[in-house]
Amino acid sequence: MPTDLEPSSPEPVATAPLPTQVVVDATYSLPGIAFCCAAGEPPTTIYAGLSDFAIHRIDTAAEKPQPIRLGEASHDSYVTGLVRAGDRLISGGYDGALIWWNAADGEQLRRIETAHDKWIRGLAITPDATRLVSVADDMRTKVWDVATGEQIADWGDHEVKTPQGYPSMLYAVALSSDGQWLATGDKTGEVLVREFSGAAGSIVARLQTPVMYTWDPRARNHSIGGIRSLAFSNDGQSLAIGGMGKVNNIDHLEGPSRLEIFDWQAGVKLHEIEDTQFKGLVEALRFAPDDRWLIAAGGDHSGFVSIYEVGEGKLLAQSKTGSHVHDISLAPDATSLVTVGHQQATKVLL
Amino acid sequence: MFLSSGYRGIGDSGRSSQSSPVGVSRRGFLAASAAGVGANLVADMSAINGLRSAAMASELKRQDKRVILLWLAGGASQFETWDPKPGTKTGGPFRAIPTNVSGIRISELLPGLAERMQHTAIIRSLNTKIADHGTAAALMECGRRDDPGIRYPDIGAVVARELGRLESKVPDYVSLYTSTEGRRKGTSGFLGSRYAPMFLSESMTPANILRSDSITDIDHRDRAALREAMAKRFVAQSKSHSVDSQMSAYQRVHGLMASADLFDVEHEPADVRARYGPTQFGEQCLIARRLVEAGVPFVKVARAWWDSHGQNFETHRELCADLDHCMSALLDDLEQRGLLENTLVITLGEFGRTPSINASLGRDHFANAWSCSLSGAGVRGGVAYGETDAEGQTVVDGEANAGDLFATILAALGIDHEHEYMLGARPIPLSDFGSRPIEAVLG
Repeated sequence: MPTDLEPSSPEPVATAPLPTQVVVDATYSLPGIAFCCAAGEPPTTIYAGLSDFAIHRIDTAAEKPQPIRLGEASHDSYVTGLVRAGDRLISGGYDGALIWWNAADGEQLRRIETAHDKWIRGLAITPDATRLVSVADDMRTKVWDVATGEQIADWGDHEVKTPQGYPSMLYAVALSSDGQWLATGDKTGEVLVREFSGAAGSIVARLQTPVMYTWDPRARNHSIGGIRSLAFSNDGQSLAIGGMGKVNNIDHLEGPSRLEIFDWQAGVKLHEIEDTQFKGLVEALRFAPDDRWLIAAGGDHSGFVSIYEVGEGKLLAQSKTGSHVHDISLAPDATSLVTVGHQQATKVLL
Repeated sequence: MFLSSGYRGIGDSGRSSQSSPVGVSRRGFLAASAAGVGANLVADMSAINGLRSAAMASELKRQDKRVILLWLAGGASQFETWDPKPGTKTGGPFRAIPTNVSGIRISELLPGLAERMQHTAIIRSLNTKIADHGTAAALMECGRRDDPGIRYPDIGAVVARELGRLESKVPDYVSLYTSTEGRRKGTSGFLGSRYAPMFLSESMTPANILRSDSITDIDHRDRAALREAMAKRFVAQSKSHSVDSQMSAYQRVHGLMASADLFDVEHEPADVRARYGPTQFGEQCLIARRLVEAGVPFVKVARAWWDSHGQNFETHRELCADLDHCMSALLDDLEQRGLLENTLVITLGEFGRTPSINASLGRDHFANAWSCSLSGAGVRGGVAYGETDAEGQTVVDGEANAGDLFATILAALGIDHEHEYMLGARPIPLSDFGSRPIEAVLG
């Protein structure tokens, strides 16, 4: 899911060479599973939300980076969404709570205990850091005033149940870099795009990615998959959607990693990209500053980082990361990124 | 004598810790089986039926106990169901919620069952050691592992044997397993095919149970009446267990044909169907209720597939919602119909899932410290028995094995778990040697 790490004022560099490699430069152990991350100031400082219910800070520029727990407070469950708003962090968790933190000392500044009735799956923040968006398994999309914590909007347009009658999940959220558009994606593969700058948040597009959702009616009688990541291109024209292709054995993440790119305003699917070698869920997506390429990261038992050229949808480079990746933080100059995931963070050079 | 042919056969030894309702002398059996016992023994059911005819007035039958086994195939996570460990390294993301019984908390994924905990005893201390699907499923179904040359009956067959009625026109043991993964038909082992399940896998309606369209109902009845009249005359002239068995078989087939409607939920009012919900598992739970209400002693409903090596929490969000809704509806329905006090509802699978969470956010197979539940008949509700350590790695109190659970289920049904079948000259207790019922969960 996008965070404020994405440059708010991208400066396209049309002549910049396309990346040709993905190199894991360093690996850092984490005291749990990291589900989300946000860059601090300087951007080499990474904050990560973990399965120990806490936020941890890692200075990746240090000689021997060590995760340091931020403050004494914590969520009551896994931390699954994290964004930075200036000198503050805002986190969301499976406990349904939102917490505002002082990024410097970890002081808890505000806590909304029941922001959602179910598990918060992701957060996004506007480029001006005035509005926060949260999505959760209550299938609500909520907008919050970052300064006051006031709830501004509450939308519930995703189906609460899957077509088979089971609880759906609202996994992914992204805002365009100009703050005009909001996309949310659910378990069954539906994406809603809203005009976010308007007060009503009217839905302007519905995109369907049914391959992302595998329902097994015969062998195992349940499902797997869903839209796990979303990202707008910096020009706002394209929307990348990440997840996993169809799976034969839904006991495991054995399906091909899958990426679909839409000209969302025209309702045209530009690319369907599946990778049967680097399998599993695409958990995080980022467009390059010039929109010519994008990063897809995720994994199964292992993790991967892949780079695709957007125009043709071609793979440029990729690498295993050793650990399932749940989120990434792309450096402002787009020459490196940090992945966070299963008990591990990695620094990756592009 | 009881054994109709050769030296292969079983019977009840009459030896138990309590008086047996269907006992015969062990000496008699020993004499009858003096020729020895071969491998892969199979019962001669005419012998069994002869025994059963003598015991029709037994206390067990009058109690009309029934069982619905909700088989959580593939292995549900104890952390996400009955034994949550929130806030620990192994606990996962879900919270523990209070139940309507003070001091008992279960996973937040089971809010409906939390409100019905007065009916349920949780056993949190199963240590069954075996963690591969096939062997573990056989262990939990039969309460012990097969010995060389002996195929043990599963719990359904034993209950069918102990609680079924000879004159019953409904099946004694029905098993619904419509998913294909891990599908197991069930086994009547040495009890023989008489106690094998009516197995429904492709459809919720038994195959070939309906009268052929080429025969009118009147013709069908007339044929049956003619066959019965002729058979009665024949039986009167030639008494034998084989003939009795043949008669019994015909009666049962006619009974089964007449019971086809039991498998059709369309016969239920819309509001009842709505309470069970639209899922296949909901419909099957409703069929189970219809069957036990009609007198079927044992119904197994397999809800596959919980084998969450990847995405354990997503899988349990989905499957626990199904279990919670359907089992809650089932318990309510049974209670409202006055059936719950005589119907034991069990949740059980082949094992639980690992405390550790793997890189795919999955949990793997784990049999050293896991949970099951018993609700209704013969159970002391509102009990959480046994204890695992803080991270759910080991049992620290009240350890129970598969045999103990088997014995507990039998005891809840009023069946003496130490009662013995005679397999040739070999006495076989209903539950494994050395097993003991968990008294704390028995009402």
